[in-house]
Amino acid sequence: MFGKVSWLLALCVLFTTSNVHSQELFSGITGPLDVKEVQNSGPVNVPYITWGGDAATFYANGGLDTTPDSIYGKSGLKLKLTAGDDFVQQVKDYMGGKSPYLRGTFRMLGQASEVIGSDPRTKPVIIMQLSWSAGDHIVSRKELKTLNDLKREGKKVKIACQQGGPHVGLLYDALAAAQLTNEDVEIVFVKDLTGPDGAAEKFRTDSSIDACCVITPDMIGLTGGVDSAGTGAEGTVEGAHVLVSTQNMTRSIADVYAVRSDWYKSHREEVEKFVAGYLKGTVEVKKMRDDFEKTQRMSSEYRQLLTSCQKIFGEEVLPTLEVDAHGLLLDCNFVGLPGQIAFFNQSGNLSGFQPKLTAALDLATKWGYAKTRKGFDPAGFDYKKIASMAGVEYVEPQRIVKGESITAFPGDDLDSDTIVSFTISFEPNQTDFSVDRYGSEFDRALQAASTFGGAAVVIRGHADPTKTLVQLLTVGMKKGLIVRTGQKGQYKYYLKTQNGNQELDLNQTPAMVKLIESGAFEGASDSPLQTMQAALNLSLARAEQVKQSITQYAEQRGVNVNLSQLQPLGAGISDPVISKPSSIAEAKQNMRVEFRIVKVNPEDLSETDFDF
Amino acid sequence: MSRLLMSVCVGLMLTIGTSTLHASRQLNVVVILDNSGSMKGMMNRSESKIDAAKSALMQVLDKSPATSQVGVLLLNPGPQGDWLIPLGPIDRANLQRSVASLDADGNTPLGAKMKVAADALLQLREANRYGTYKMLIVSDGEASDPDLVQQYLPSIQARGILIDVIGVNMAQKHSLATQTSTYRNANDPNSLAKAIGDVVLGESSASPDDAAGQTDFEVLAALPDQVAMASLAALTAASNDPIEKSQDWVPDESSTSSHGSSAPANSGHRSPPPPKDKSPISMFQILVFIFIFAAIARAVFANLKSKR
Repeated sequence: MFGKVSWLLALCVLFTTSNVHSQELFSGITGPLDVKEVQNSGPVNVPYITWGGDAATFYANGGLDTTPDSIYGKSGLKLKLTAGDDFVQQVKDYMGGKSPYLRGTFRMLGQASEVIGSDPRTKPVIIMQLSWSAGDHIVSRKELKTLNDLKREGKKVKIACQQGGPHVGLLYDALAAAQLTNEDVEIVFVKDLTGPDGAAEKFRTDSSIDACCVITPDMIGLTGGVDSAGTGAEGTVEGAHVLVSTQNMTRSIADVYAVRSDWYKSHREEVEKFVAGYLKGTVEVKKMRDDFEKTQRMSSEYRQLLTSCQKIFGEEVLPTLEVDAHGLLLDCNFVGLPGQIAFFNQSGNLSGFQPKLTAALDLATKWGYAKTRKGFDPAGFDYKKIASMAGVEYVEPQRIVKGESITAFPGDDLDSDTIVSFTISFEPNQTDFSVDRYGSEFDRALQAASTFGGAAVVIRGHADPTKTLVQLLTVGMKKGLIVRTGQKGQYKYYLKTQNGNQELDLNQTPAMVKLIESGAFEGASDSPLQTMQAALNLSLARAEQVKQSITQYAEQRGVNVNLSQLQPLGAGISDPVISKPSSIAEAKQNMRVEFRIVKVNPEDLSETDFDF
Repeated sequence: MSRLLMSVCVGLMLTIGTSTLHASRQLNVVVILDNSGSMKGMMNRSESKIDAAKSALMQVLDKSPATSQVGVLLLNPGPQGDWLIPLGPIDRANLQRSVASLDADGNTPLGAKMKVAADALLQLREANRYGTYKMLIVSDGEASDPDLVQQYLPSIQARGILIDVIGVNMAQKHSLATQTSTYRNANDPNSLAKAIGDVVLGESSASPDDAAGQTDFEVLAALPDQVAMASLAALTAASNDPIEKSQDWVPDESSTSSHGSSAPANSGHRSPPPPKDKSPISMFQILVFIFIFAAIARAVFANLKSKR
């Protein structure tokens, strides 16, 4: 799907009046706005944006104007779908009563929250989540390997991002995953999402830019593909690669619809029909999309839908149906009814309405879009009723999902697949990982598992190699392979060779390795290899214990977690922080459990992964 | 219960039990059980060694953790072949029948069976990575293929497979006694328990824990950092490749290896004897040679005959 998408080429002219290099209050961007009553004659204006999730709206409506035989037509709605890629204009229309609806990402609404929430009549009611994005990316230069690298000493990492667009939320989440803020990096805001004034072009032409937030076509243009690195040929940038993608960060960008509070109060039944019709449309659009993806045979109905999308978004945005229009739909994960319930109603959903609202308002206030926290309200629908209206089966979302974990061993490309990591340490022989001590790390791991729904949370245990090395020396001495001279504190080791005893220094390293590989230190009851294996087992046991503690913690707090994402691994002594500790303090640095958010193949995900 | 039975039973149980401390679900043991003719000998007045071994096996396998993987490999094939019990989760339903079929006959091809056992364990380790991988040899006599034992032993140990030996009613120590992780006579269950218990290994100690009152860190201090790093890399890269007798066999004169002639006398790491070629290829070569020789002789004979 990654090579197919060249959509959104003229999308989202947001913040056209914004200062490119600094943040501004959203109220300053829109200017003074008067709140007016919603126009209540003729079809209701409903904005759409250039996104695959909106294809279901077109389908439900039968086009931009409601057709009688469409889902919305049959339910008695009369809508006029209007272009809403200019979000500032959307807000102006919303406040001015031209449309009671707002269409954006949750975080875009957050950035506008102070403006739209300042009057009780326009306080947004979030009525529906359409989808999660799987088509937005942060591309970086070669030297940035993980999100942890976004903070460096000396010169701040410079990241290009469209001011106020959907990627601001993605960037916020990416920084948060590495426990960083916008203060730790230098964000260079650009005017447009894509094109000459977009982040990709800024990255391409300005070598001081270290990373950029881009959509799929730009990502492909810079890197050659989601798993590739640019070579410098054919417009790619040498070494450019995807640092993080919403293919892994599957619960970062939530596309939503909101309505004005006053409209919701007076037109609740219509709003319910709008949501139910969208859900019904989603089921059918998903089936058509997935059938084509599976069989590569396009049904006439799907062709009609893609042609409609091409016509609405423009042929310059979607030049082809099979690649571009279909790719647009593949880049979004429709949440469906269970995901809807999970988002709005399910307690313990770390990517649900309340956590997303908190994050959106944090972003708005901390990054300077708002001075005050003006929240939104959830619609509070009866989803059994909505399901009945939509003619879809009512299915409760999952909570704790038990499934097979991924299988990977340390060293099996774990480094190259790691998105972000953090570490907890412990005492020698520690097996209990209490909430009191590790609660904040558990929270972080659970939040990461939720946000990075398309990734594995590898819990990688490590053991200290001291005992193994000591055993190597003591067995070597017992067997006469190694000779030690001197007094305590002033020892010297010698390796027995054909030419007599040679001091065990750098020059003797190959000989020492050869002896180890030959098994010369083995055979006695003290076996360095067995100690190494025991340390490997111990490190796995610790990782499993941590997973168990997190699971219990999640259960006690009612947090939803997909257990198949949590993958315990034992690294043993293979990757010590300090190879030869000189004190217990140094040894403890090796005794650690590392959490790594690791990319997994998106094809390994199932629809139910988005139910919560 | 005879002393043999008790000892074997305790030995196996401790082997299993101590391992479970670290990774209960990942104990992997192959028991190489001597079912040679000598095992028909009487252990005491009423019970033969093989019967005692069968009873011990039943008890131990019955009590082994459900998650462990245990195999019993015979020195001489039984009705189901070499494996009395294939390495894997224990099939308790068929356990009684398998063990009941065990009989004693034949010689003691220990070397050949050590390779089979090691390869099975290495294959399992390749798939599972974690766990403890052990070979437990229970025998009342010396191997009938001692050269093979010596050929395979270093490469098995170089791959980190722990070998424990229980000598059953042996007058002397088994020849593997000085070369394997633990060796105990079967009539010494208490010391057996301690020896196997010592296999459980820790991580590091901050306080002095040896006779000289040295901490681990004091012992390590003079070890160069680069040597430490390289040693760790070598230890953690233990191979799971099948045992090859030729691979580890050729003595390396250029190195400091204890395999070579420079190995210290007290190393306890025995230099293997020169290889004796017993491979099928050699036999084939001999046959070819005989065939060619016969053909030449016949040609010469025919030539002589024609000259007449």
